[in-house]
Amino acid sequence: MKLIWLVAAVVTALIGMAASAAPAPSQWEQPAAALAEEIAGILGPGQARLTIRNLSTVSSDEIPAIRRLLEQELKARGVLTSGAESANAIRVTLSENMRERLWVAEVVEGNETRVTMVRVEPGTAPQSQPKSGLALRKQVVITTNEAVLAALETAGGLVTVQPEQIVIYGHAAEGWREQKRVGIGQKKLLPRDPRGIILPSANGSGFEASVVGMVCSGSYLPAQPAGDWTVRCRESDDPWTIVQPPVAQTGNATQGTATQGTATQMDVSVTPMKAFYNAARNYFTGVVTPSLSVDLPPFYSAAQIIRSASSAPLLIGSIDGKVQIVENGALKPVAGTRDWGSDFAALHSGCGAGMQIVVSGSGEAASDSLRAYELPAQEAVPASASLAMDGTVTALWTAPDGNSVFAAVRGAADQFEVDRVTALCN
Amino acid sequence: MLALPATARTRPHYGGTLRVEIEGEPWQRPGGLARRMVLDGLAVMNADGTPRPALALDWKSENDNHRWQFRLRPGVHFHDGSPLTSPSVVASLNAVCGTNCPWTAIHAVGSSVVFTSDSPMPNLPELLAADKYLVALTVASDGTTPAGVVGTGPFQVTGFMNGVLTLTANDSSWQGRPFADAVEAHVHRSIRDQWLDLSVGRADLVEVPAEQLRQAQQQRLTIMTSAPVTLLALTVSDSGALGNPNLRAAIALAVDRSALYNVIFQKQGEVTASLLPAALTGYSFLFPTERDLNKAHELRGGLTPPPLTLAAEGGPAMQLAAQRIALNLREAGFNVQVVNGVAAQHADLALRQLPLESNQPQAALESMLRGAGLAAPVLEQTPAGLYRIERDFLESHTLIPLLDLPRAYAVGGRIRDLHLSPDGTPQLSAASLEDAP
Repeated sequence: MKLIWLVAAVVTALIGMAASAAPAPSQWEQPAAALAEEIAGILGPGQARLTIRNLSTVSSDEIPAIRRLLEQELKARGVLTSGAESANAIRVTLSENMRERLWVAEVVEGNETRVTMVRVEPGTAPQSQPKSGLALRKQVVITTNEAVLAALETAGGLVTVQPEQIVIYGHAAEGWREQKRVGIGQKKLLPRDPRGIILPSANGSGFEASVVGMVCSGSYLPAQPAGDWTVRCRESDDPWTIVQPPVAQTGNATQGTATQGTATQMDVSVTPMKAFYNAARNYFTGVVTPSLSVDLPPFYSAAQIIRSASSAPLLIGSIDGKVQIVENGALKPVAGTRDWGSDFAALHSGCGAGMQIVVSGSGEAASDSLRAYELPAQEAVPASASLAMDGTVTALWTAPDGNSVFAAVRGAADQFEVDRVTALCN
Repeated sequence: MLALPATARTRPHYGGTLRVEIEGEPWQRPGGLARRMVLDGLAVMNADGTPRPALALDWKSENDNHRWQFRLRPGVHFHDGSPLTSPSVVASLNAVCGTNCPWTAIHAVGSSVVFTSDSPMPNLPELLAADKYLVALTVASDGTTPAGVVGTGPFQVTGFMNGVLTLTANDSSWQGRPFADAVEAHVHRSIRDQWLDLSVGRADLVEVPAEQLRQAQQQRLTIMTSAPVTLLALTVSDSGALGNPNLRAAIALAVDRSALYNVIFQKQGEVTASLLPAALTGYSFLFPTERDLNKAHELRGGLTPPPLTLAAEGGPAMQLAAQRIALNLREAGFNVQVVNGVAAQHADLALRQLPLESNQPQAALESMLRGAGLAAPVLEQTPAGLYRIERDFLESHTLIPLLDLPRAYAVGGRIRDLHLSPDGTPQLSAASLEDAP
């Protein structure tokens, strides 16, 4: 009996090894089979010459494999492609349009040519990884076809702030699944470049979101069935929180696995700060609370730089493109910010100086990029290579725990995604 | 292809006046520069060829696409202050679509607009996103009849004097106020003058005709080029001398597309023999583009048709192209005279630039076929089905596709975040000025 079990175990192990050693199914198998089915339906069993040309972005390295697949699938359906002298011909063209790949077969029998075609889902291009000192990496949190102004992971799920709605997603096996959608109910017209922020509530399970002229608060009751959120919105011209101390994160379904420092390792002294937002435009007015010893110009972004327990100047990106620092009661220009965009956020990575400023920029590329900088004095020093994003960065904010930043990105086809950006200490 | 100066991404600035110059009419339909700045449609197309709500908040189809209900966005007003209502939308659409519309009837029902048709209308949202169906006020609040220039769009007309159309930001735009305070459009400016003004900083955006793209590149202008949005095509009468389908087929085979592409249009755009561009379908290579003079002679079968007239719509490049085509046809045994473009309606052959009305293939094909006088909706949703429709239509040789052409503009260094719409028009409402106050 033991021998039988032993043989069974060995056979099972061998089968398992064989299965794991088998190549993964090619992405071309399904379309090759579908096209072969169509061709065989036209031609019937017999011989034909097969030619393949590539008018698509499929790499020429992949053509032999596609050819082999097509030959196999045709053979399985009684069509042999070895007949060089055959009067029948199959001309396969690998083509594509802006939405999908298209494989087209022209089946020639004598003077008659018949055409058939199958759609092929486009593949995804591999992401390039930055290769230098401190490395930024991104992880897609959610992809949606609706604009996202800000997002927050909570114990009760992912909350996204859209121009006119709060959308709450719950955990699901396949990722995030929409649970609740609440209209914000603005009575005023939205500006063309609307902005919003979202922060965790004091107990960490709810949120407070500010969108042009409105504030919404949400609370989550974990004892209730999934999706039991209460969200209330009201008109408000109150200032928005632009700087707040890092808080412990309570819910974190998509936390990155990068080697990171944490904000709690630092003896930081972050002063909460709020700023009034110009609801008819896309910037903060320059009026902040608590007030500073200098008048600030209107600005797009602000972050607090933690240099030491006693030095935490405020960095602002004003609407005239200047980046300035408020330190020792004075507003001072920061050098080395020529490539900076309007959006930046503090990242308490624990790498290098402990914290960096992650900045958006576009350069010559069609898509934006993010790059980390350190500000040891009044000059911004690059601390990482640029991290290419898959579109335009429309918003950038620090995660509540300070260990990562989030970016809202608008892709080429008006697809939006929220990315978590973390730092790898090399 | 966007080639703007390499600067860091900044949020758009509010303020300033955008100065644009055009050769033609700002209200020309389709694609007039002012149209999408001043007027909105019920829907608008995304870059990926899907429609999204505009003046309509949402829509639903019933009865197997024979009935569509578009619910209007509340709180939208025309530039004269009158509210957008379902009767005003119905009046606008009736004014622009008297015959050969995608629908049989259109009604205002509460705050919705309802379209009904004897045939299914599977592509109605995409069709309604086209330039043709932009909504304009037909009766102003003071009882007068505006000239189709009062809309709900991000800019409103505030003046037209000395060849300058002035548009001012609509603070109440439902899409949000545009970033620029105003747009000044200098109309009827020659391309040469436009480029000169751009070079000395008097203009922010000027036109670059497809045939002058290479020249603009040589002059190192910063150029934005759309995907192909115009089909250069030869329309062929199917009556009179050309009632014989073999003669029409011979004409199709006699035209030398590569000469038009290489010489007249300076290798811009794409040679084509299909109605829809390759980027939209992926199958256009199935329509052969090569000239075959021998077969053209063979199809003509020794017949010597009476002299044919060929008219060309458009500027010098179109006239040159017509001359070249006439030469091609003479080589195939046809006697062709090029006549004034005004006579295009009565000419045997007409060289035309047909706009691609949608970046969704079904809607684009349906619009193209409606333009050619065919009223049947495109029900096919697969590439193979669309190919069959194109093939069947083109076999009549009443329309011979020649080139797919892009729209292009040269821009100055002040403009930020400028993009082109799927139809190739610049989205000036989303653009901003670098040096805005």
